[in-house]
Amino acid sequence: MPRPPRRRPPSVPAPSAGDPSRRPHSASTLRYAPAILILAASTGLGAALALTADRPIPESEVVDRPVRVTADGYVSSDTCRACHPSEYESWHGSYHRTMTQVATPDTVSADFDEVRVDAVHGSAMQLERRGDELWAEFDDPGWEGPEAERPRIRRRVVMMTGSHHQNVYWYATGHDRGLNVLPGAYLLDEDKWVPRSSLVLHPPGQSLAMLDGHWNAVCIVCHTTLGRTAFDTPYRSVPFAEQAVDTTVAEFGIACESCHGPAEAHVEANRNPLRRYGRHLAGDGDPTIVQPATLDPARSSQVCGQCHSVWEYYEPEDERRASREGLPYRPGDELRDTRFIVQPAADRTSADIRALVAADPDFVRGSFWPDGTIRVSGREYNGLLDSPCFRDAEAPERTLSCFSCHAMHKTADDPRTVAEWADTHQVSAGMDGDEACLQCHEPLRADPAAHTRHAPESAGSRCYNCHMPYTSYGLLKAIRSHTVGSPSAAETVQLGRPNACNLCHLDKTLAWTAEALDEWYDMPVPPMRNGDRTVAAGLRWMLAGDAGLRALTAWSMGWGPAQEASGTTWMVPHLGEALGDPYDAVRFIAARSLRSLPGYANLDYDFVGPRQARVDAAVRVLREWRASPAARLRREPELLVDPSGELRVDAMRRLFDARDRRPLFLRE
Amino acid sequence: MAQRTGPDVDYPVRHLRFGWWSLLVFLSVGFVLELLHGFKAGFYLDVTNETRRLMWTLAHAHGGLLGLVHVAWALCLRAFPDLEDGNQRVISRCLMGASALLPGGFFAGGVQLYGGDPGLGIIVVPAGAACLATAVFLTARATRRCG
Repeated sequence: MPRPPRRRPPSVPAPSAGDPSRRPHSASTLRYAPAILILAASTGLGAALALTADRPIPESEVVDRPVRVTADGYVSSDTCRACHPSEYESWHGSYHRTMTQVATPDTVSADFDEVRVDAVHGSAMQLERRGDELWAEFDDPGWEGPEAERPRIRRRVVMMTGSHHQNVYWYATGHDRGLNVLPGAYLLDEDKWVPRSSLVLHPPGQSLAMLDGHWNAVCIVCHTTLGRTAFDTPYRSVPFAEQAVDTTVAEFGIACESCHGPAEAHVEANRNPLRRYGRHLAGDGDPTIVQPATLDPARSSQVCGQCHSVWEYYEPEDERRASREGLPYRPGDELRDTRFIVQPAADRTSADIRALVAADPDFVRGSFWPDGTIRVSGREYNGLLDSPCFRDAEAPERTLSCFSCHAMHKTADDPRTVAEWADTHQVSAGMDGDEACLQCHEPLRADPAAHTRHAPESAGSRCYNCHMPYTSYGLLKAIRSHTVGSPSAAETVQLGRPNACNLCHLDKTLAWTAEALDEWYDMPVPPMRNGDRTVAAGLRWMLAGDAGLRALTAWSMGWGPAQEASGTTWMVPHLGEALGDPYDAVRFIAARSLRSLPGYANLDYDFVGPRQARVDAAVRVLREWRASPAARLRREPELLVDPSGELRVDAMRRLFDARDRRPLFLRE
Repeated sequence: MAQRTGPDVDYPVRHLRFGWWSLLVFLSVGFVLELLHGFKAGFYLDVTNETRRLMWTLAHAHGGLLGLVHVAWALCLRAFPDLEDGNQRVISRCLMGASALLPGGFFAGGVQLYGGDPGLGIIVVPAGAACLATAVFLTARATRRCG
């Protein structure tokens, strides 16, 4: 049955010739005029907001700091990302990327919003945020007149170094692209500002020089990708204000091309999808780019060694060339062809090293133990070079390299997050334990305790703890030595370098260690001083060692395995005494270790506070400890405690008087 | 009674059915993709898997839109009988091919990845695009006779 025709609702009249809905077009448009106006106004407002919003200034227009440029075949990580998202992701989460960043409210860890920082030498530093700009007012470091008349300067903070443990900030000097360092730095873990010079272990009473252009001349080399200082004359050969400074980088931070080399040719070749898929299916390498992990162990480690080593230019002209063109080394090259790797353990007499020492007598001591073993952080390649696992290896597959234990990109089978991988020094999956050594030393796997003479699950059975002890210093903490070796009492006697046994068994004497090594491993007991037989090694190092050794020992007193092996109650007065150490870094570390001991978590102490306050804090710690039962728990003579439980202050004084007080500046 | 547009095949009905079923399938795919978002599935959302997410999103989008194209073509055949110019068989096969190759290729391309490059399944996508382009061209040409 056909449907009846639909009718229009009565309220809507049918159109007709005289229908008002058929009025002229202009009238109909007028009806929508308010809506059109609102739309137009909204669009205009939106456009105006978009045009006037604060936007970063393009790099090409930045004039007061180093800038990113694309040059010499470097294409930047932005280009790499499209084809290598996984590698890009892990690199992006690494501290290599954030080693150097442009300072913005988003990148800095500290609060700059109307903050007064007292923890600087001289008058307080005042921080200010103006929109997205960061500013600081502080004493002019370049003033050479009377101290009382030192003027204040206000400068824009434009760059920052570090993102893992600390932020060091750099301000625009106002002269070309020259930078200088803020007098205060920020510690991330402690959420605390400290004087910039307190970050490094340096002689007391000396404030580290704040020199215009320091970042451009020095830091740029390893903290950026293809940094070019671009000074027209050698740095400091003329007053800074008279130098032209046009510093550029391929990328801030350590980016893809630092390790893989310039990638322009690789990118161009792989625009062709047929080539790409051919390589995907073939599964072999791509000759248009360097893959460090597939280089031989020596060459692959040199990729890391380009920054993680102590090195110098062969000739002054090399520095001038590097200033203009960037460092000549490219991944895959022979590193020694481009620079002098300082290796006192292997070479103490060459003209190169003699020239270095002549120019700077403390050069070697500031970076190496007396036997030439590296003692500062960030120079692990030097440690590798001196390691038997590298130096004496015969087959490439059994040669230690950086990639034996570390991975520059988190692998797909690594269950950790990118942040966890980055926080654990980019150690490869599974290589944060004994496996790192057992991959070559397989026979030890079956019965590790027979080798270690410690309980299998204890810290004493971990390969790292004995063969890579914490004998390097940097970043206000101890770092594992990357010179793989075996504990040796003789080295401690002859070189003053702490041995792995006593870094854990701080409460035992060196003689105790020597006898154990003799009994277990047939290592002859070396001749040693009487004190090495009668005083715990930890106490000798803490009381009589140089500042670097005191820092390492104080750190070890806060290290879990050492606390477990040595006990902690006896440490309190000695860490308390170190609260008055002349070196800022030693005081900082001692306070941190003390706070890790039971009952001292809330220790009220400022390592850069007024001297009297520091002394008061040390006295308070000692007095409270003496009054506590803990003071009488350990009465061993080697801990300098007499049978009644009283500290043998006279013996402590003798060691203190014998302290190695030679000024020490550790060049981490 | 259904209008027959070929000796054996009723194209409008075939594509109307295919289109709606296709829409249902790809609507379901969209639902699955939303679940992957909801449960933050790493193999779909991680930065490392950006290409997979792109490929499967493209598979979903192309499949859904092609379903609409099937429906539209079927309705056009009914509404404008003049469109029938003897190429229906070719157009039908091209549309079917596009519906298989485009979303299928994108999906397969996202299963296995080579870094930022999709897997080998992606190579059928251009063939699917050619099928779709052919179908659209032939249909556009046939509209000359309409009206």
